[in-house]
Amino acid sequence: MYDPDSARQTLKTAIARLASGDRDALEDIYRATSAKLFGICYRILGDEKEAEDALQDVYLTLWRRADRYDPERASPISWLATFARNRAIDRLRTGKVRGGSVPVDEAAPLADDAPLAEAALIDGERDARVHTCLDTLDDAPRKAIRSAFFDGHTYAQLAERADVPLGTMKSWVRRGLAKLKTCMEAGE
Amino acid sequence: MTDERRPDAVLAAEYALGLLEGEELMAARVREGADPSFAADVMRWQDRLAPLADDIHPRVPREDVWARIEEELQKDRGTAEVAELHRRLRRWQWAGGLSAAAAVALAFLALPVINGPAPEPTNIAVGPGLAQPPLAANMPIEGTPLRLDLTYLPDAHSLLVTAVGLSADGVHDHEIWLVPPEGDLISLGVVTPGVVQAHSVPLDAARFMADGSKLLLTREPLGGKPQDSAAGPVVAQASFATI
Repeated sequence: MYDPDSARQTLKTAIARLASGDRDALEDIYRATSAKLFGICYRILGDEKEAEDALQDVYLTLWRRADRYDPERASPISWLATFARNRAIDRLRTGKVRGGSVPVDEAAPLADDAPLAEAALIDGERDARVHTCLDTLDDAPRKAIRSAFFDGHTYAQLAERADVPLGTMKSWVRRGLAKLKTCMEAGE
Repeated sequence: MTDERRPDAVLAAEYALGLLEGEELMAARVREGADPSFAADVMRWQDRLAPLADDIHPRVPREDVWARIEEELQKDRGTAEVAELHRRLRRWQWAGGLSAAAAVALAFLALPVINGPAPEPTNIAVGPGLAQPPLAANMPIEGTPLRLDLTYLPDAHSLLVTAVGLSADGVHDHEIWLVPPEGDLISLGVVTPGVVQAHSVPLDAARFMADGSKLLLTREPLGGKPQDSAAGPVVAQASFATI
């Protein structure tokens, strides 16, 4: 039976093992999370090779910095997802990458479903509040916030793509974020 | 809401989402390192937003990505010792007393480990590559709450540069220099902001690396000091101490 708590606990334990210097823990973490994190890197970078480099970077950094994870804090997969997304965005911003998002219909052909099943086990967060809270926003801020998250777009890029002045985009997004915060806090 | 007035929590969200650029981004990074309540806001937003990634289709990386990671791990032969060293270094830093801002930055790195029992020093002595005592230096960067941590592993000829919390401004790089007893400064490489990076130390520098050795940090054009011009302004300095 699927038990998200125990999947999460297993991952937390693996991160703790890694932080204490157990190198084998990294392979366990990789097997359990790489499909999710690679999906994130690929979504943001839009390039297989770049995403592979980013992924490699994520796990090597994790090995060196596993002690940054605070087990009292978020779910470990959220922490890893944030970590992967930030590394991918850093890479995107260094300018070497063409960037841009992957078209939705290019949902990757998948080599092997086993790791995915495992990744899905750890997720267990699909009902998270952010989804419903985002849906309460107006169209424009919702789209902009999603695009910032999924494509790594900055304010300037969002404004350009929506063909509105920068100030307009900022005020849309800020109002949206303030509203999102209120909605999220209502459930925290 | 005008451009200048925005609540911190919204700024934290903008930063967590990656909307900011240029000076705003740098200012937010500095605050994240220096202001615990802002840093907590950022973390809270990261945790709130992270489940959005559930909408991203997972993708299985090619098998040789793991092979490459493993290969890097093997190459990284000092790493176990480096992890151990981080722990030693931290105890040394806590013992040495830090400014509040530096302590915050450090707490970021150190959270889960501080409470743990101190590892036996014998673990270090018997480990490969740590026969000679490592050297450490803290380099506070003038006019900012940031600092650079430098750790030298004599047996690996490796200088570990911790520049977490520092961010690139896109215009300058910072270069680390060893000041030998006489003669020209010896470059120890250009700082990579935001990461912990191992620099290999040239032999002519290694023989001068000792307790009390002086280090300088200069501001240079991107890529470091150009060959045909003088080093840029000194923005920080420090001395090595044995740990």
